[in-house]
Amino acid sequence: MNALETLMLLSKMLGVLTGLSVVVLSLTWLERKFLGRMQMRMGPTRTGPYGLLQPVADAIKLMAKEDLLSSWVDRVAYWVAPLAVFVPTFMIWVTIPIARDLVIQNMDMGLFYIIAFSVLSIVGLVMAGWASSNKYAVLGGFRAAAQLISYEIPLILAVLGVVMLAQSMNLQEVVSKQGTVIYAAIQPLGLVLFFIAGLAELGRTPFDIHPAESEVVGGPFVEYSGAHWAVFFLAEYINTFAIASLTVLLFLGGWLFPGLPGDVSALGVLVFLVKTYMVILVIFWVRGTYPRLRIDQLMSLGWKVLVPLAFVNVIITAVYMFYGWPDWSLTIMSTAILVVVGWGFSRRMRTAPTPEYTVKLYVPAPEASNAG
Amino acid sequence: MLGNLKGLMVTLSTFFRHPVTYQYPDEHKPIEDRYMGFPVLMWDKNVEEPYCTGCMVCVRYCPTQCMTAVMKDNPLHADGKSTRRKIVDSFEINLGRCILCAICVDVCNFDAIEMSHEHELSKYARNDNRTNLPKLLEMGKAYQQESGWKPEKEAKAEADVKPVGSSVETKEETAEAES
Repeated sequence: MNALETLMLLSKMLGVLTGLSVVVLSLTWLERKFLGRMQMRMGPTRTGPYGLLQPVADAIKLMAKEDLLSSWVDRVAYWVAPLAVFVPTFMIWVTIPIARDLVIQNMDMGLFYIIAFSVLSIVGLVMAGWASSNKYAVLGGFRAAAQLISYEIPLILAVLGVVMLAQSMNLQEVVSKQGTVIYAAIQPLGLVLFFIAGLAELGRTPFDIHPAESEVVGGPFVEYSGAHWAVFFLAEYINTFAIASLTVLLFLGGWLFPGLPGDVSALGVLVFLVKTYMVILVIFWVRGTYPRLRIDQLMSLGWKVLVPLAFVNVIITAVYMFYGWPDWSLTIMSTAILVVVGWGFSRRMRTAPTPEYTVKLYVPAPEASNAG
Repeated sequence: MLGNLKGLMVTLSTFFRHPVTYQYPDEHKPIEDRYMGFPVLMWDKNVEEPYCTGCMVCVRYCPTQCMTAVMKDNPLHADGKSTRRKIVDSFEINLGRCILCAICVDVCNFDAIEMSHEHELSKYARNDNRTNLPKLLEMGKAYQQESGWKPEKEAKAEADVKPVGSSVETKEETAEAES
């Protein structure tokens, strides 16, 4: 690789980093504004028109803040942890295409690479929790490990369904296979699984168990402040954007839109961004609606519902492919399973009636029997 | 599952509702007519002097002892312009201590003190809320201007001239008479 190529690659990486930072800024503003409106508030209004400069103000505040350090902290792990979380989230973007030819390095094993790297950030969270020498941080770190590892499985299996349909792990290929029918229409079950497991991977409501403010006061991030906390924050929002864009690429046809030419880069980017932001709005919408799950609810949802469903999803996809049935047959199977499971789930979740119980009063034995 | 979807619909419907926020320093909530703000002193426009004679009834009844008043001979009475023999010389209310109970208003024999609509009186120093006579009168004039306040006697006299529900009552009376 000569100097020019290296320079090109570096400038591309820098471009992606800058772009992601801008996206994160926009997401923080969007989230606060959107959640505010859902609670019939205004959201930020004081900083610039419509509070648009709020993320800038936040960034300045975070940078200017004192970086406190507890004296019992394990320093090496403590300083490495933010990077261990941030670097994998950034590395994913090397192979996520935002238009047909807008990608740093297209890979045939792109999805494999993305999954392999996204698992790595768990290490960072556990590290942060352990190094902080704080009981809440340790609890949060372990919760993060338990949650993220459990939900990797349905996530990966949901991706597997798409990979089977597309016969490729190359994201560009996956998108170009969706030229006629998007995979969300063929595999609605896969989309729901991917979305729910993705929410859990992000640690967003209703799965925000590891940074739960009311239980473990911010989880692994308790001890962090200022710029180091900002790095975690940045990673979280980049992850949100990554899961949303993966949903778009795998299930919603990426940069393709019926009636628009898919090979025009600028148009492709626009379509891709619009779709991704729609998915992100759904994520914020979910955040504005649901309360947090308990940890046992989270585990039972993951292992008893999502993992079996993900296997079922893979199996019906395999059956459909083996017999070469038409697309709509998989759609029907997938939707039927979704409806049946949803119905069963809603019956289970319905609040159980309070069990009847009798209060037994203590009645002292009559003293007369003693006298005889 | 169905309940989950219902929940999503609820938040979506609130999203399309108008925010209930008042942008406070720029935009004030409307004050009700009977809002009880801080007590202020009233100004008699007929004679151009305060109603207050400095009799100290309010001072004695004040549960937090936030007022002081000093009385003097009324110079306008000596000139024959006023019926008040005594008039207030100085009056101070520590609005930081006032609890807005309106006992001073109830006990006042001259309708001289009233609960105004003043409520945004935050100050930087602890004793900046000590309010003297000119300031109290200024606030009172503003309140009179705003609410069209009249002393009790005048208000009663006006009410007797044109009773509000009179037409209805007469109708009822006639109906009773007919039956």
